[in-house]
Amino acid sequence: MQLWDILEYAAWGLSAVFGLLIVADWIKIDTTYSEDVLTSSREGELEAMTEQHKL
Amino acid sequence: MARYIPPKQSKIGQMIDVIVLLILAIGALYIPLWMGLAGSSKTPVPQTAPTWESLGQNPTMVEKWNQLGFTDPAAASDIITARFDYSFSTGSLILMVVVIVGYFVMMVRLSDKEYREVISEKFGDR
Amino acid sequence: MANTTAEAPEKLGLLRVLGPAHVWALGVGIVLVGEYMGWNFAVGKGGAYAALIACWFAGLLYSCVAMIDSEVTSTVAAAGGQYTQAKHIIGPLMAFNVGLYLVFAYTMLEAANAITVGFLMDEVAKLTGHEGINQDPFIILSVMFLAWLNYRGVLATLTFSLVITAFAFTAVILLFLFSVILTGDSPMRHAELMTDLPYGWLGVLASMHFGLWYYLGIEGTTQAAEEVRSPARSLPFGTLAGIMTLLIAATLTWYVCVGLMPWEYLGQAGVPLFDAARLSGSTWLMVLLGIGTLFATLASANGCINDASRAWFAMGRDHYLPAWFGAVHPKYRTPYRSIIFLVPIALIFALGAPLDQVITFSILSGLLGYTFMPINVILFRKKWPLDTIKRGYEHPFHPLPAITLITLCSVTYFAVFLGYGTQLIAMISFYIVVSLWFHFWRYRFVKRADQFTMPWPRPRGY
Repeated sequence: MQLWDILEYAAWGLSAVFGLLIVADWIKIDTTYSEDVLTSSREGELEAMTEQHKL
Repeated sequence: MARYIPPKQSKIGQMIDVIVLLILAIGALYIPLWMGLAGSSKTPVPQTAPTWESLGQNPTMVEKWNQLGFTDPAAASDIITARFDYSFSTGSLILMVVVIVGYFVMMVRLSDKEYREVISEKFGDR
Repeated sequence: MANTTAEAPEKLGLLRVLGPAHVWALGVGIVLVGEYMGWNFAVGKGGAYAALIACWFAGLLYSCVAMIDSEVTSTVAAAGGQYTQAKHIIGPLMAFNVGLYLVFAYTMLEAANAITVGFLMDEVAKLTGHEGINQDPFIILSVMFLAWLNYRGVLATLTFSLVITAFAFTAVILLFLFSVILTGDSPMRHAELMTDLPYGWLGVLASMHFGLWYYLGIEGTTQAAEEVRSPARSLPFGTLAGIMTLLIAATLTWYVCVGLMPWEYLGQAGVPLFDAARLSGSTWLMVLLGIGTLFATLASANGCINDASRAWFAMGRDHYLPAWFGAVHPKYRTPYRSIIFLVPIALIFALGAPLDQVITFSILSGLLGYTFMPINVILFRKKWPLDTIKRGYEHPFHPLPAITLITLCSVTYFAVFLGYGTQLIAMISFYIVVSLWFHFWRYRFVKRADQFTMPWPRPRGY
């Protein structure tokens, strides 16, 4: 049956699309922001922080 | 107590650490598989020319087997007669107990050693 | 490194956006797949009654887990859940081990779910008359899609989980209602199908191994601690509501399935609830439970990605693992590098290892985690008695739940030993080796006092 062949290709295609979306955004973020900002999260500081930056 | 300043780890060092951890984890899963020691399976007791009666199935069970697609008792025979083997040796049971208890004792002891260091740096020496 | 743009805050953190319903969805979502498949191996291990006894004893085990967890986590509200608890209460090495239990239990469960999606697609293809499809693209697609969803933000991820989990749970309830109560001539045949215990009481012990499947993963609710709006209230509520939901679902599932199938069949079935729907003789119930199975697997994998990445992230943030993993996405506020890193790991196991091995790896990691909990709560009460710090929830009858839990864990170790003794030893050897590696090598990169982040007084006796 043709349908399942198409579905298989569609699944491969969509997997690639999701993978590319993630990797593209990952590269964009890692080159835009400095490592210090990205890894600035600290345990227990969250309460104070959400007060600072209204989101 | 003096404050402990950790060394800065290089990018390559970080990568090596992750790889070491991965090799260990994948090894733990695959080594028993490669050595053929993994898992327990059921062994069926084959019957010559099984009937539903010889397999100990009552009419309701037979009806359900039929609905499930097993119209021939021979096809269901292996599923019905298969049993696990729960025999074990005392030696291996003792080994397991020793390993598990030993592991947790080691864990709590070494953790406590590290924990005292954390507490005295955080709250100061008494 | 490029310069920081203006809109980025100086400090990044996860977002507090979740409510109690999301906590429920995270907990139940991970677990409910266990009612759709897997629990029935307990029937094979010891017969129908053994599976019911295992269901209730495992339920007791998990009720203890939920109570203990609720108390500790309503006080230690940080991503990483049990990892952060261990770090504050027992010590760094234990925390490192607990973090690994979490990551492996969830990543392996995620792999098992992905394998099941492939299996289900194969079944559907067969029903439409197409033999032998390639399952790989469907396995990969389910992992990639859920990873993408997790990458994009926690609120959408868990709202998705909430919807599909509610659907899958409703499907179980409807199956029960329509096959037991609302039909004139019920297809249930309990009296004729039930047999004596085929292995005697040893079988009852053995079936505890898969008895855990009814509930495995409910403790994952604590991973959301850093993203819940009011953790002290929402976490105990979501977790305890979750365990009650599961007790109901597990008992109904057992009742329907053993009334429809001979135990020998049920004990080895791949998709028991789907089979039950098939035997109920209604096409729409069959379609409903088919979709329910798919949704339950996706919800479970989704929650697993969420939980495993939070634990991995928390360990990176403390330098237990390379600090690179401790990064937060500036826009989506998710631990994006941990999410990305765990995708290929899940795929290695989903595409390369047999299902029962993956499941056993997951169960054993979970079991080690449950053994840690009673030690944890006893030390917690000892180091900070009730009047020293404020707890969001205090569990009753201490130390009875802790003692019950450790007893049931011992029984389960014995049950696993009966079938999978070698894996048990291999697994613990793995944890011993990595513990030594951590203690003598990795721990040097960890700042000492900075790990202790809770605003608590000095623990008693230190």
